[in-house]
Amino acid sequence: MAGIFIYSEDTNVAQQMLTMGRELADKMQQRLCAVTIFEQDAQDLVDAGADKVFVLKGDSAWPESYAPAVADLAAKEEPIAIFIGATLRGKDLAAKVAARLKSGLVTDAFAVRLENGDIETDRVMYGGLAVCTEILQGTSVVTIPPRTFDMPAKVSGRAGEIVKLDVTVDSTMAVGNVCPIVRQGADIATAEKLVCVGRGLGKQEDMQLAKDLAAALGAEIGCTRSIAEDYHWLPNETYIGLSGQKVKPVLYLSMGVSGQVQHVAGIRDSKIIVAIDSNENAPIFAAADYGIVGDLYQIVPLLTEAIRNK
Amino acid sequence: MPNIIACYKWVLDEQDIKINPGNLALDTSRAKCKISEYDRNAIEEAVLQVDKCGAVVASLTFGTSVAKQSLKDALSRGPEKAYWVNDTAAQTADGFVTANVLAAALRKIGDYDLVLCGEGSADTYGQQVGPRVATLLGIPVITFVTEMKIEGNKVIATRKIGDCTETVTADFPVLVTVLPEINKPRIPSLKQVLGAAKKPVTEWKAADLGLATDELSPKNKVKSIKGFVMNRKNVIYKEGSPTEKVASLAATLAKEGVL
Repeated sequence: MAGIFIYSEDTNVAQQMLTMGRELADKMQQRLCAVTIFEQDAQDLVDAGADKVFVLKGDSAWPESYAPAVADLAAKEEPIAIFIGATLRGKDLAAKVAARLKSGLVTDAFAVRLENGDIETDRVMYGGLAVCTEILQGTSVVTIPPRTFDMPAKVSGRAGEIVKLDVTVDSTMAVGNVCPIVRQGADIATAEKLVCVGRGLGKQEDMQLAKDLAAALGAEIGCTRSIAEDYHWLPNETYIGLSGQKVKPVLYLSMGVSGQVQHVAGIRDSKIIVAIDSNENAPIFAAADYGIVGDLYQIVPLLTEAIRNK
Repeated sequence: MPNIIACYKWVLDEQDIKINPGNLALDTSRAKCKISEYDRNAIEEAVLQVDKCGAVVASLTFGTSVAKQSLKDALSRGPEKAYWVNDTAAQTADGFVTANVLAAALRKIGDYDLVLCGEGSADTYGQQVGPRVATLLGIPVITFVTEMKIEGNKVIATRKIGDCTETVTADFPVLVTVLPEINKPRIPSLKQVLGAAKKPVTEWKAADLGLATDELSPKNKVKSIKGFVMNRKNVIYKEGSPTEKVASLAATLAKEGVL
């Protein structure tokens, strides 16, 4: 087994993973290889730290259909580990690659490190309640969520080998009707500040409280799963949690959010967590830096006013 | 009349798991089990096809002897019969093992047109078993589906992939993994619960499926499973008037430089 593989159909995510991959490859004295389906991005991947780039050239624009090709390449090269960007397309491909290689697959690893010569990963289980640490065995596949690692410092024109391979793609499915999801407002996954609405809010009209607070803060508005899925007060793309958006704002401020474990898993990387809720025993307070126990209908307007007057 | 198999996992209810504050060990002694939420959507979507196109639905699970309790729950949600691979290997199974077992069970069942799975399980949320099973069976897989219909011997499904949606069409047999927003799982009625007890259950051991030891051994080595600690400041303003509490919070946030 030799080399460390990085793959993502999103070249930004691939470059973020090269930051981690470079460090690991240097420590293990291994070659760092990027695999891409975009020929035009190959030099970018070298500039970002890859020693070698495999460009898979096939007759499909659908990234998922390259799973057999990625697996064939890995079977031939036998890397120590294959890191794949944990976009949904990446997760689909990763599972197919792992099945073909008969290897393990760690989903959504948030930490990767070398420990006594082995690669170890951390991921959450039970909706964010627990962390599972695994030691990789054999050629293992690991998916890494976007933005887990920072972009590497790029060296323009860095030397690296680029190899183009003609590959066969999976053509058992027909894909069409691709529509971008039009977001109302900004992408909350990258928002600097967030106001999060939970079930403590009594009715949809009261969303104005959140809107006023968000406007005063210059924040975007997110919500818990039930606000989006059961009440439809906000679009599905704005619910925060393990199966929704994972956010990492500088300030996360919740109003009427109880703090179920799956929700807290989505806000864990926030710098400052603030909670406002009437239930002193709500689990959100254990996850918060600052909080107010009180009626949000009293607290939020006062807070909005206080922030406006700053 | 397509044959549909809905797969589900019988998992610990994470709300009942306690963390030992000293060593961060998980205390699951009081935890009840449940059908993983996402798999309830898979069962529901299968059963919805009974009215839509006369589908015949069976459920399939891989679990230890504890999963026996799940059969009635699953059957009360609409499937006509249940398959249960009852094996201690489920105790340590990872996505690799689970997929090997489910794929072997599906081969033994033989007559399937559509396999439905949740996108991930509520306990490990590995989001891999569906596409792994399809790969092992050599059939197409459509993941992260929010809407699907059967037309003749085709499945036409809408996937929701981050910032876009797309429509994917594949011929039977096909595996589909569903997102929670695809439907709202029913709450079984008393009649359905009582009726479930009369439905047939087929039980197999992993050995009945011809699986070798290495196919039942997990791949990566689990070093530890510990409670996730949140190291937060936990400064909570409880006392005083709303105005006082807000003043304290606003002053603190200003000091943190986040306003």
